[in-house]
Amino acid sequence: MSALWNGLSALSQDILMTLALLLPALIVGALVLRGYAPWPLVRAILWRFRVASALFVLLIAISVGMGIGLLAQERGLRRGTAQAADKFDLVVAAPGSEMSVMMAAVFLQPSDMPLLDGETYAEVAGHENVSIAAPLAFGDSFGTSPVIGTTAEFARYLAEDRIEGRMWQSEHEALVGALVPLAIGEEFTPAHGHGDAAEEHAHDGAHLEVVGRLAASGTPWDRAILLPVEAIWEVHGVSNGHAPERADQIGPPFDPAYFPGTPAIVVRSEALWANYALRSEFTRDRETMAFFPGAVLAQLYRVLGDIRQIMSLMALVTQGLVASAVLLGLFILSRLLHRQIALLRALGATARFVFAVIWSFGAALLLAGSALGLLTGVAAASVLSKVVTARTDVLVTAPLGWGELHVLAAFVSVTLLLSLVPAAFILRQPVVPSLRA
Amino acid sequence: MGLALSISDLRVTAPRGRVLLSVPGLEIPAGSLVGIEGPSGAGKSTLLYALAGLLAAEGRIRWGDDDLLSLGAEKRARFRARNIGMIFQDFLLFEELGAGDNAALSALFRPRRDRAALRAKAAERLAFLGLGAQISDRTVSSFSGGERQRVAIARATATDAAVLLADEPTASLDRAAADRLIDDLVTLARANGTTLIVVSHDAALVSRMDRVLTIRDGALTADRMTMA
Repeated sequence: MSALWNGLSALSQDILMTLALLLPALIVGALVLRGYAPWPLVRAILWRFRVASALFVLLIAISVGMGIGLLAQERGLRRGTAQAADKFDLVVAAPGSEMSVMMAAVFLQPSDMPLLDGETYAEVAGHENVSIAAPLAFGDSFGTSPVIGTTAEFARYLAEDRIEGRMWQSEHEALVGALVPLAIGEEFTPAHGHGDAAEEHAHDGAHLEVVGRLAASGTPWDRAILLPVEAIWEVHGVSNGHAPERADQIGPPFDPAYFPGTPAIVVRSEALWANYALRSEFTRDRETMAFFPGAVLAQLYRVLGDIRQIMSLMALVTQGLVASAVLLGLFILSRLLHRQIALLRALGATARFVFAVIWSFGAALLLAGSALGLLTGVAAASVLSKVVTARTDVLVTAPLGWGELHVLAAFVSVTLLLSLVPAAFILRQPVVPSLRA
Repeated sequence: MGLALSISDLRVTAPRGRVLLSVPGLEIPAGSLVGIEGPSGAGKSTLLYALAGLLAAEGRIRWGDDDLLSLGAEKRARFRARNIGMIFQDFLLFEELGAGDNAALSALFRPRRDRAALRAKAAERLAFLGLGAQISDRTVSSFSGGERQRVAIARATATDAAVLLADEPTASLDRAAADRLIDDLVTLARANGTTLIVVSHDAALVSRMDRVLTIRDGALTADRMTMA
């Protein structure tokens, strides 16, 4: 049985799981409604209690929407950050916080970091298994765009060679990310620092021209301006990584004696195993640390996973409370219908028909609330995704997933089963006193 | 065609044992129009609801060949659905439904094969009662008391019930509306041979019955034929 299940595709498993979760509700619905068509009465009852019904539907929709929105958003955030770190196989930096280095190198969040010297860079770049070793230079900005110094090779790798215009050919040329508000051919002068603390005129002598635009990557690098790392070093008045006789050279190899230092080196190897070997090799006490940003994110996800569980639990508790309130409301509303229920019995309606009417009323509220909650959750997740994307430039998309549908199916099944209780309770009401009331 | 009623040793008691109604014997031929009168609280409505099988009672209530009290609750419900139409003082309609839907209410819990015929019969009854197609789709909340009670009569007779039980059907109506309703009710019952049993304080209604029973303190104290 287990082998059969494992042999199914993920989609088949998800569909079967959803159906299995809905099965109790479907069976109950089929049994309760078999042979009857209580819809005109259900519509009449819904209309009679339209304000209360709308309120119940809204309550259910909010609680279901919150749960679905949170789950979808958390998954979207996870996917977006993983995608942002996709191009950063291995990062080598001075010992410190992996999280800080990752935030600076991958997510371009400014941070003061110690520098690696030229010898270290040369050792990394010269390693036989390294295909790309890109130094990064942070610290400048233009408007809201961070200005990053790196190598042409890394810029191409980042954009997967999808560059509108051309690659820089001198230290006075720059590439811009897809979201940078500079056109090809425009010139700009970077500021020293970021945000309100940026010194606008610190690099007044530096005039840079945009010669190319990188394709959108859905990462914070879409907001970045990329320069030859030599340009960053020069505007800061330090050596540009090359000996004076090769001062016009752009890109590696760098001369260790003239290498001013880099806070992080992004390393790429063609072989997966080599990345592990490089991490091991460059993890040295007091000299360097090497880490996989993906692994740091995984640690973060583990923490997020705990939070997700807590949020899921809270969402379930909220849904449970709302469902209880709705069922209690059903008790109360059904008692207000005692004369109509007695009338149906007097006219010869069977207990099962009366039961079907009341259960269908509750089911209509629960299903409408769940459907609206689904839409609310998707809409909330979409809005939240746009906000997070706008604030972080990490492309977060939170489409509806099977996990959310499973939660919803379980909620629908449990509450439809629970709404059998008020329906059964109504049958215990005496008929004649209600008719004579 | 109506059903004959035969009652023997009928006793309805309150939960604490007080006797609410005691009828040692009563025979009502099929197709009779019977009024039940008496002071308030005498047990008139109790008798009516017992005859519908809605009250727990001892003894025997036989409608035609069916001994109602020997049936379980669900079989009694099915018996009512097939044979008994009920009319109430305050109409007891679903205010949110149209006249047609109210009159055809029983179609909702009838076997699928009977539903269309029942709806057609309900429309026919409404038309007979002056509530034609032009207003049968309106929700009954906009109807006058007389119109509502006519919808209730259409509902009670749409199933071609052999027995009609009416509890103070004119009590909520003005005189003109009550008189029209009495005419309609009696005409329909006589035309269909229905056994009609009416609890009422309305002398005009009771006087149109073939026979009048008087109940006092839970006992049948008088049984007279009228000249109707």
